[in-house]
Amino acid sequence: MASTLRLYSTCIRNTLEAAMCLQNFPCQEVERHNKPEVELKTSPELILNPVLICRNEAEKCLIETSINSLRISLKVKQADELENILTKKFLRFLSMRAEAFQVLRRKPVPGYDISFLITNYHCEDMQKGKLIDFIIQFMEDIDKEISELKMSVNTRGRLVAAEFLKQFI
Amino acid sequence: MAMACFDRASPALKKTLLELHSAEKPVEIDQHIHEFNAVRYHIQSSDSEPFLAHLSISTPLLSEEFSRSHGLSFDAAQMIRDIHTDDAIEIVEPAKEGYQLTLRIHLSKIPRRKESVKIIAQISTVLAVLLSSQLKEMLRTMNFTSKEQVHAVMHKPIRLVYQQREPFFVIRQPTKITAVFPMRFKEDSDVIIATAFFQELMDVGSREGWAKAPPCTWSPIPPPELRGELLEDLSTNCGFVSFDITARHIKGKKLDKMVWSLLNFHAFVKHHVKCTRGFIQRRMRKRLDNLIEILRNKGGPEEEEDEPNNEPGGCGCMRSLAGTSRSKATLERRRRSLFSNKIRYSIKVRGWVRFRHRLSKISKFSPRLRYPKLD
Repeated sequence: MASTLRLYSTCIRNTLEAAMCLQNFPCQEVERHNKPEVELKTSPELILNPVLICRNEAEKCLIETSINSLRISLKVKQADELENILTKKFLRFLSMRAEAFQVLRRKPVPGYDISFLITNYHCEDMQKGKLIDFIIQFMEDIDKEISELKMSVNTRGRLVAAEFLKQFI
Repeated sequence: MAMACFDRASPALKKTLLELHSAEKPVEIDQHIHEFNAVRYHIQSSDSEPFLAHLSISTPLLSEEFSRSHGLSFDAAQMIRDIHTDDAIEIVEPAKEGYQLTLRIHLSKIPRRKESVKIIAQISTVLAVLLSSQLKEMLRTMNFTSKEQVHAVMHKPIRLVYQQREPFFVIRQPTKITAVFPMRFKEDSDVIIATAFFQELMDVGSREGWAKAPPCTWSPIPPPELRGELLEDLSTNCGFVSFDITARHIKGKKLDKMVWSLLNFHAFVKHHVKCTRGFIQRRMRKRLDNLIEILRNKGGPEEEEDEPNNEPGGCGCMRSLAGTSRSKATLERRRRSLFSNKIRYSIKVRGWVRFRHRLSKISKFSPRLRYPKLD
């Protein structure tokens, strides 16, 4: 793993460990409602300051915390047009199957490629450390997958081009 | 190019002719077949002439300006006759009204063995032969002009339409013929995949081992030779691909391959784009499974050691998430802590021993966590 990526991942991990101290907290505005405060933002006293961690201009992570929920938004590196469409396709594909991940948000926060929403219920059901491990691994896997996909598409293109030109020789 | 979509024989025509040929009794048939690109076939066979079938073909011309105003060129006619040398095919003059070509097929002259499939497949390629002959003629007439003639020839691009809404151009130049393909795609992702392919095509073509292949260039703007052409033909979203064809590339048998490759270049690129999209989708699906597997593995070995058989029920993804839940051992420890020695001896409750005895019986009961999956 590149040292910059390790630093970036470690920083996100430490921030998540600090931020993931969620508790059950019913809505203060509406009776018998219990909603993620980070989404509704009804009471400013329940929201903490968001933390923005940037690896570079193209890769960043926004961690927004509230008393009962946590929202993690990721922006993935897109060096060229091919990476751009591959990232869009892949993250859209994952977002459409968000129910398989439970903590994945169906729609990313504007300006980001993918978002997770973790509530106090998720923290009660799952182990906190492993949930953080999953987010970090997910982030690293997406980068790796996009790079591999790009290489595969180019390799396929080269093979098909060679096959097309072979018939003239 | 062994892909089915680039097969020269028309599958529908081949099937109909095979049925007609293999029929035990004489069959009366009057069938119209419509194919892509406004191609029409009309097959007729009557009881009165059981061993004869008439096949009429109508197809849009490749180029209005270059093609003969009427009739079939001598070369094309010869190529059609060459499909089968035993006079099984005969060109009917004049062709049936509304069609460019009518063939009389003598079914009795086609042997009733395995060879028949091969011969009928050859007859089904008649459209490919007809269209290829037009382009072949063009390339031939453009190619064998002397230097003096070259200057006399107007270097006006010839617009060819093999697939509707996808024209391409052939341009005569002093030492070569250039085929220019304006490329268009409906979706942005297709444009990017195709652009990556064209760049690879240029890279591969410029390598040392590929010097014999026609040089290929891709440009996002139209080449200067197309200046003056219609704006709708020059407005593309994926640029222009050009192949420089020299006399060496269309010598002898190479001409046939070159012509068929040029006619099908659009289809070839679209096929590649479609396959690449499928490949990306398959990769994504596989990756999704891997990511879910990661979540499943996050359950850790702790509870497996504690209660190896206590696997939660339900569907895959939910079962995996349940796996990540807090260790059952922790919950058990908490429950037992309520009944620790300290509590037992410090608080005296009437009937406590009996209650504890009952509780221990309940704790031995393991509730069934597996729920039947509903269909």
